[in-house]
Amino acid sequence: MSNAIETFDLCYRAGKHFEIRDLGLKVREGSIYGFLGPNGSGKTTTIRLLLGMLKPVRGTITVLGRKVPEEMARIMAQTGYVPERPHLYPYLTLEQAVRYHAAFYEGFDMAYAGEMRRTFGLPLDQKLSHLSKGEMGKLHMLLVLAQRPKLLVLDEPTDGLDPVVRRDVLSALLDFCSQGSATVFISSHLVHELERICDWVGVLDNGKLVVELPMQSFKNGIKRIRLSGAPSLVGDTPFVVLQRETTGTEQVWVVRGWQPPMAQWFEGVGAAVKEVMDLDLEEGFVELLRSSRAPVS
Amino acid sequence: MYRQVLKAQWLAARLPVVLLALLGFALPLLIVTYGGSLENAPSDRVAQWLYAAEKIGTLIPGLALLVGLLLGIGAWAPDHAGKHVYALSLPVPRSMYVLLRFAAGGTLLAAPVVALGLGSLLAVEAIKLPVGVHAYPLQLTIRFALAALVCYAIFFSISIATKRAALVVLALICGAFLADLVLAVLSVSGSASVTTTAFYLLTNWPGPLSILMGRWALFDV
Repeated sequence: MSNAIETFDLCYRAGKHFEIRDLGLKVREGSIYGFLGPNGSGKTTTIRLLLGMLKPVRGTITVLGRKVPEEMARIMAQTGYVPERPHLYPYLTLEQAVRYHAAFYEGFDMAYAGEMRRTFGLPLDQKLSHLSKGEMGKLHMLLVLAQRPKLLVLDEPTDGLDPVVRRDVLSALLDFCSQGSATVFISSHLVHELERICDWVGVLDNGKLVVELPMQSFKNGIKRIRLSGAPSLVGDTPFVVLQRETTGTEQVWVVRGWQPPMAQWFEGVGAAVKEVMDLDLEEGFVELLRSSRAPVS
Repeated sequence: MYRQVLKAQWLAARLPVVLLALLGFALPLLIVTYGGSLENAPSDRVAQWLYAAEKIGTLIPGLALLVGLLLGIGAWAPDHAGKHVYALSLPVPRSMYVLLRFAAGGTLLAAPVVALGLGSLLAVEAIKLPVGVHAYPLQLTIRFALAALVCYAIFFSISIATKRAALVVLALICGAFLADLVLAVLSVSGSASVTTTAFYLLTNWPGPLSILMGRWALFDV
């Protein structure tokens, strides 16, 4: 299977304190890829690099099999982009904004846009400056989905929306995905939101890709293990140790890439596994970030 | 695409466009209103009127400058407000988008130009000119259109420039004033002023602003 988005050795610097380092993303065609990271980790910058809005210091970017930024116009013709902040012209009415947007896309589906507008309950003659945040979020989704894109790049599309609107927007997205084979690249810091819809996840922290793996592996592979008699020094382990804490005679390890047969490894080093606990995605995400910032020795 | 860009630009700039068009329409009429009846007026009164008409005529290049300024900067204002994110996400090459914006803004120039033309024609119709005095409504309108287009192109380019380019321009202007100040402090006699030379180069042929200079007369001998 080919990749809808691929970056290699991507580097970008903004000022003295922020940089994207050696970013190697691989977003498979047809996948829903959740791009997770705390605020300020570089998600929006990465998206802007992918869409040719920023120029990298080095590295290559390929989107839908085309090079960025050389073939940007062709890429954007097949890409729907919802930015972090509303960018549409506020003095246009909703109808004018839809017509303006449609003029740039050959395959814009006006009938579908009308249908979605009615579903979302958006008023045609309302100026965009008078729309609520939720209505604006719905309008953005309406515009990009009616483009019938091959790739959707959504930068925190539900940030700041109330739960009802968030559900509406994500339902529309999932409906669209079920109709075809579009790839979705969705960034968020709302972990639970991505858990429900994504099949791949990449975690970015401080401009660096911490991990990129299928959502199932992410969800099932991170465990909290309660041990007794664990060694103080850790050599090579068959899993990645994210965190270790000692409480009395016991130790609690948080590990990534865990599989049940790996319990034997502990027996080999004289430790006994007392309990293996599942972590929800948010806990796993937090532990991943913690370990990337202060690796366990 | 062009139609939608034009419509969006019109909706953003309609108030200044209408006001500029009203000004363009009113200026030629102001000239004839001031003149009153000149059919059998003595020659010194005609000369006086022509002088006053010329003075009012100097407002016309000022209007061209204002039209260029407001429409040139207005062409990019909505995109500036959104930090150009929407424009950059559209599936057209950047050069094409710039052309679309330029063409749309250029089309809006037509409103004040046509208004000035109509105002000029109406002004000419409204007055019985004394012998030897002629009206130049078409020539004035064409010149106004070209002047407004030049100013529009200049301000459109400045408006689209990056912050770095704007800073370079600002630094050049400050540098010129600073050079003049240093020359004045050192009391260097006989050396040309940098700002005066720059102004001369810009406002004399082939300087881009030379079209704004000279006489702007609707009526002349």
